[in-house]
Amino acid sequence: MNDHTCSSPADPPQTAPASRSSIGDDLGLGLAVPGSRLIDADGHRKVHPISPVIYAVAVFPAIAGIAFAAGIQRISSLAEGIGGVPGLSFVSPIVAVILAFALIALFLSVLVAAFQYLEWRAFSFWFDDDGDFRVQSGVLLRQQRRVQVSRIQAVDVTQPFAARLFSMAVVVIEVAGQDDSRVRLKYLTLADAREIRREVLARSAGLASNTAEAPQDEVARVPAGRLALSLVMRVTTAALLLITIVIIVVSYLTGGWEAIGVALLTGGVPLLIVLSEFVRYYGFTVAQSPDGLRLRYGLLRTESRTVPPGRVQAIEYVEPLLWRRKAWARVLVTIAGVGTESSGANNGRSDTVLIPVASVEQAHDIVARVLPSLDTASLTWVAAPIRAKRRSPIQWRNLAVGWDERSFAIRRGRVTRRLAVVPHARTQSVRWTQGPWERMFDLASMHVDTTPGPVSVSGLHLDAAVSRDIAKHQADAARRGRQIDNSIHWAAS
Amino acid sequence: MPLVDTESAFTSSNEGDNWVAVSPKLVTARRLVLAVGLLPFTTVVIIVLLWLGAAPTIPIIAAAAATVIFIWAWWLIGRRVRSYAYCERGDDLLVSSGILFRRLVIVPYGRMQLVDVKAGPIDRAFGVTTVQLHTAAATTDAAIPGLEPNIAADLRDRLARKGETRSAGL
Repeated sequence: MNDHTCSSPADPPQTAPASRSSIGDDLGLGLAVPGSRLIDADGHRKVHPISPVIYAVAVFPAIAGIAFAAGIQRISSLAEGIGGVPGLSFVSPIVAVILAFALIALFLSVLVAAFQYLEWRAFSFWFDDDGDFRVQSGVLLRQQRRVQVSRIQAVDVTQPFAARLFSMAVVVIEVAGQDDSRVRLKYLTLADAREIRREVLARSAGLASNTAEAPQDEVARVPAGRLALSLVMRVTTAALLLITIVIIVVSYLTGGWEAIGVALLTGGVPLLIVLSEFVRYYGFTVAQSPDGLRLRYGLLRTESRTVPPGRVQAIEYVEPLLWRRKAWARVLVTIAGVGTESSGANNGRSDTVLIPVASVEQAHDIVARVLPSLDTASLTWVAAPIRAKRRSPIQWRNLAVGWDERSFAIRRGRVTRRLAVVPHARTQSVRWTQGPWERMFDLASMHVDTTPGPVSVSGLHLDAAVSRDIAKHQADAARRGRQIDNSIHWAAS
Repeated sequence: MPLVDTESAFTSSNEGDNWVAVSPKLVTARRLVLAVGLLPFTTVVIIVLLWLGAAPTIPIIAAAAATVIFIWAWWLIGRRVRSYAYCERGDDLLVSSGILFRRLVIVPYGRMQLVDVKAGPIDRAFGVTTVQLHTAAATTDAAIPGLEPNIAADLRDRLARKGETRSAGL
């Protein structure tokens, strides 16, 4: 943790356009291993030979935890058994048992390392003659994967905790696809990881493979205090914490502590969520580079993501009630092929946040960098009719759809306001729906479908005939948008 | 074009919008599925009720309820199938469906990633197939059930051709 600046929440947003960005700085925790450019017999590149050790280190806590959990109940009887063994009398039996568990865990970790060593031998990657990226892996089931560089959505460098111990990193290559189509290169030294990211990005942008790494300027940085405050001030969290405080105060005043179990739940769950998001988004930094916005964040596990502007499908501003006095917003983003992974520790949320909290102007500035064509001021809005009140008594006042030459937008939500925008050129299809309740009041909703992601572009409870016309016009606008769109070749322009 | 439910076709005037309904055979197929599903289920429920020694009124009520559901579903299937219609426009395909929950899906040809033609055993027996469109969005959900196999194959080929000439990146 060498370069995180913890500012107080009162600090102004730190925008330092010319400052050197810290993205890509080493977050190593001590052990540094020399780089390795191993090449196998076929001329293919290998990941760092220390990788099996990192795998073992990564699984050791889990294995040890399971061993202790399984043995903790029997620890005293085991200790008695060991206590009888002569020659071990110089340590107390409990310590001996704990040592035994640690040894078992160590042994299993060594097994993992041995297996990963075989995997490491089988694993190699290279660029083929067509310029596509290839990965070969698998000990028993050999698998070769070919990644078309033109299909690459993003290349990220992350540093899981175990890898940080060795100053190592993982390169994650995101490809548009339904299933787990991302390629992970585990593990590389940070310099190698950045080098590979640079090469892959340069190739996917259609530049020569020896183009120098794009320079980057820091655009925004989220101070730790502001992040913590914003997480606590989200509507549900704040409400639950308030309930908890009320329960505790009432319990204290009346002297009856029966409801304290409820307080544990109402207080514990939001605190856990706040804590986990705080750890995840800690030190969130946004930097501009020619191949897109670079995001970096994380307290324990550091992630670095690149958001190429041409691959952004939709964005959404989220403004919870309590953030509005501070004029804060969170920005979510849908990128093709990102955040749709269902398995693994990644639940997709971290993949889809452009900035967890920012002032509204700052948020607009960041969005303008990924969607340069968006101008929220020029949108023509059509609001839901007053009779939508009977369908949605709270949010009806904020329901609207809007559009201009380049984009389509929707507004919804009252307590937590949302504004979602999709460029016409990213429209996949348009839907118009009408449920029985909407039909009673001659209302209908229209939806613009984009690739799977956190942003849903649904204009709710509009006038039925008007929304139907808008839906059809949107289909035409989407066609025109595709014709004038050139953002796929964003690096060349 | 027979059987187009004007309610679910476009209300606003649109020259050139040429709505095509699906085959009425789908009504028979769906009604058969309904009968095959509901009849044994009701029978089993009544037998179990009798076996448990319920008063004779309870099985009669159950049978009456099943009959009401059967008639209502029978009628609803007819209306639902009539609500399916599609329209090939210059640059996009419109699919309209639904009675209680009405929907209209507009899929630009250039956005179609693949076109499925599928038919279950009952559908095959009645000579109907479903054409399903997929885009990069998971929420698109545009399916046209109840097409005659040759019409479905023609539609698929036409859509694939139109999609190819207009295809765009993500």
